[in-house]
Amino acid sequence: MHMRFDVVVVGAGPAGAAAAYAAASGGLKVLLVERGRGAGSKQVYGGKVYSHYLEEALGDLKGAPIERWVGKERLSIVDDAGRTATLEYEGGSTRAFTAHLTKLAAWLVDRAASAGAVFVDEVRVDSLRRDPSGRFSGVEAGGELVEADVIIDAEGVNRLLLERAGLVERASTRDLALGVKEVVRIGEKEVEERFGLDKGEGLSWILVGGVTGGLPGGAFVYTNKDTVSLGLVLYVDAAARAIEEPVHSMIEKLRTHPALHRYWADGDVVEYAAKLTPESGYRYMPRRLVADGLMVAGDAAGMLLNLGYTFRGVDYAVYSGYMAGRAAIAARDRGGPTEENLRELYEEPLRRSRPFRDLWRLRGVERAMEGGDRYFRRYPALMGAALRSMFELGESTPSIYEALRGAAEESGISIIGALVDALMMARSI
Amino acid sequence: MGLTIAVGIKWVPNQQAVRFDERTGTLIREGVTSIVNPHDLDAVELALRIRDRYGGKVVALSMSPPSAVKGLEHVIGMGVDEGVLISDRAFAGADTLATSYVISSALRRLGGFDLALFGQETIDSSTAHIPAQVAGWLGLPYLYYATEVELDGSGRKVIVKRMLEDRAEWYELDMPAVLGVAMKSQLPRPVKLSNKLRLREENPIRTWSNAELKLDQRCVGLRGSPTIVAKSTWTPEVPRRRQILEGTPEEAARKLVEALFREGVLR
Amino acid sequence: MSETAGLQRIRVEDLLQRDSWDVDPRPHIRLNAEKCAGCPTKPCTRMCPAGCYVEAGGSIVFSYEGCLECGTCRVVCPMEAIEWDYPVSGRGIQYRTA
Repeated sequence: MHMRFDVVVVGAGPAGAAAAYAAASGGLKVLLVERGRGAGSKQVYGGKVYSHYLEEALGDLKGAPIERWVGKERLSIVDDAGRTATLEYEGGSTRAFTAHLTKLAAWLVDRAASAGAVFVDEVRVDSLRRDPSGRFSGVEAGGELVEADVIIDAEGVNRLLLERAGLVERASTRDLALGVKEVVRIGEKEVEERFGLDKGEGLSWILVGGVTGGLPGGAFVYTNKDTVSLGLVLYVDAAARAIEEPVHSMIEKLRTHPALHRYWADGDVVEYAAKLTPESGYRYMPRRLVADGLMVAGDAAGMLLNLGYTFRGVDYAVYSGYMAGRAAIAARDRGGPTEENLRELYEEPLRRSRPFRDLWRLRGVERAMEGGDRYFRRYPALMGAALRSMFELGESTPSIYEALRGAAEESGISIIGALVDALMMARSI
Repeated sequence: MGLTIAVGIKWVPNQQAVRFDERTGTLIREGVTSIVNPHDLDAVELALRIRDRYGGKVVALSMSPPSAVKGLEHVIGMGVDEGVLISDRAFAGADTLATSYVISSALRRLGGFDLALFGQETIDSSTAHIPAQVAGWLGLPYLYYATEVELDGSGRKVIVKRMLEDRAEWYELDMPAVLGVAMKSQLPRPVKLSNKLRLREENPIRTWSNAELKLDQRCVGLRGSPTIVAKSTWTPEVPRRRQILEGTPEEAARKLVEALFREGVLR
Repeated sequence: MSETAGLQRIRVEDLLQRDSWDVDPRPHIRLNAEKCAGCPTKPCTRMCPAGCYVEAGGSIVFSYEGCLECGTCRVVCPMEAIEWDYPVSGRGIQYRTA
């Protein structure tokens, strides 16, 4: 069988499915290759998707497997003693939903297939092939070659193919974060009662501090229809050096955390998942997002924004994949997918796009976070101590200043230092 | 010309993912994915090897709900030529007798085959009835624990090797014949891209319902199943001794082997 | 489930049983025992979310069956002793709700 397509897309995650959808919609003959069984079976993320770029790429979200639209945002700082300060935002208009990526990816693949893309599952691509001129001309899987005018590499965060092709180095632990999560079934009514949600309303909750044992990173809780997704994100480099107990034990520590477990008490852990993610999309980005006959999209392209309190991965992946698919169409009408054409049609527009400019503008936030102990252990401790002396009143009533001063003494942190850090943080942003 | 090799596959709940709810005493099946019965993949692999050596085609049959198309797609990805999904509400609730009746009728409808291969047993019921009963319905020779198959010079007989615990045996069978393939005797080959593309381009999966097979409703499904579950009990829990063997790994291993000999586990 | 109801932590072996698997009989990860033996820190033992790497008697006992396919071991291994790829044929972890 002679296997030849206009476009071969590697990986049917959000980026790959969006790329296949866009390219097939423009009349190209597209092959979408996925290593998992069916669409979505290898997909892992935190739990929340911003809808803007999905709507932009797909036109609508008709039939999307949305669990809940997020109506409540919560940010908590937890100290080692379990004392928690929480900021909650609600009453705004909702821009994000919770979903299982396994199902969302399957939905995106359906859209791609409806647009005419050929979807093949259970096939692992082993390498990107070049022709003698150096142009990327196809992919190889299990000893078989399928040829293509252009390849869209959406292989995900582990860039095995790009590494083998010599386009990127093996990733450094400093550029990656590890996410682990559990899905706990508690029941639809329980989700709404325990988190104080209206019917169908969702909660997105980010926690930092004691939940990671002071390690750089954070924890998240997202509510689905009748389940809760809870997880940890740890910066790999810092964790590999300082982690005291295994990651799987830390996620269980989070689930059984005295201040948190009541939310999912009696719940049944129905799934346990893990995924690497770029810690900073910008730093993870390959030097070039295109080569002759090749475009890179999604996690592999570093299209992920991580601000500690906000993660944008799925929507950026869809956006970059969609741009790559559109570029494949435009390149055909302009003399083919040469490196120059792809740079002009994909890389440069992507670099000018809002997501990319945000990645650039907000780069370095994660670096500030690497200040580690201060942000993830000592400031939470300072906060815990200050709020304790403000709210746990006995004989005397301290002013805010006295509470802070007392807390600074108790936690051994200078207020001035904290202010300087806050300024540095603000500047780095 | 070549051989026509039929292979039966069952779409079973992934047993590993089924959990037991201690509170209600029932199995938690919710969210459990299904897979091709792993032992059937041994039969598929053996069928493919025979085809690769002697030519012909492999047809996979599965009597299952429509979701089993995923399983047929998997074995077609491995190299199976055609798939037949035997699916009808009338077939639901069947015991092994009614199931083997439907499968043997489907085999007849194939219009001639040389070999029909089945896995040794299924992970969700472990009866090992189906291949024997199919051979019974069709009046064909049957051998179980098959591990290797060769055609004799005439091309009308097969020589089948089977492995028993302490010996290997070789049998000569007239074709058509039915074989139960020994579990874990083959290493199922990986799915290939070209096979999956052929699947997408040619869609070699047919669906047969009872409209095609035209079987007497009284002989299929729940009505055609004489088996009744009279009682089910739990296997008694074996108390664990929780013995800890001290020493270096080498010493502990030696003590463990000694203990196993002492208990008669090893001989 | 009784063990998840309370505050008791679930052991990793049991946690992995909550997932659905179709394990390939052929390992998709290979460990170079020689390189591995020279490793002073063995971060894989703490960083693998599936607990696939366990230290026993000074060396690493490794199993690929419970691999969640995240790729962490590959990047944290200071010896580059782990030859890592995804399983073929759709085998391995079968996520349903992640």
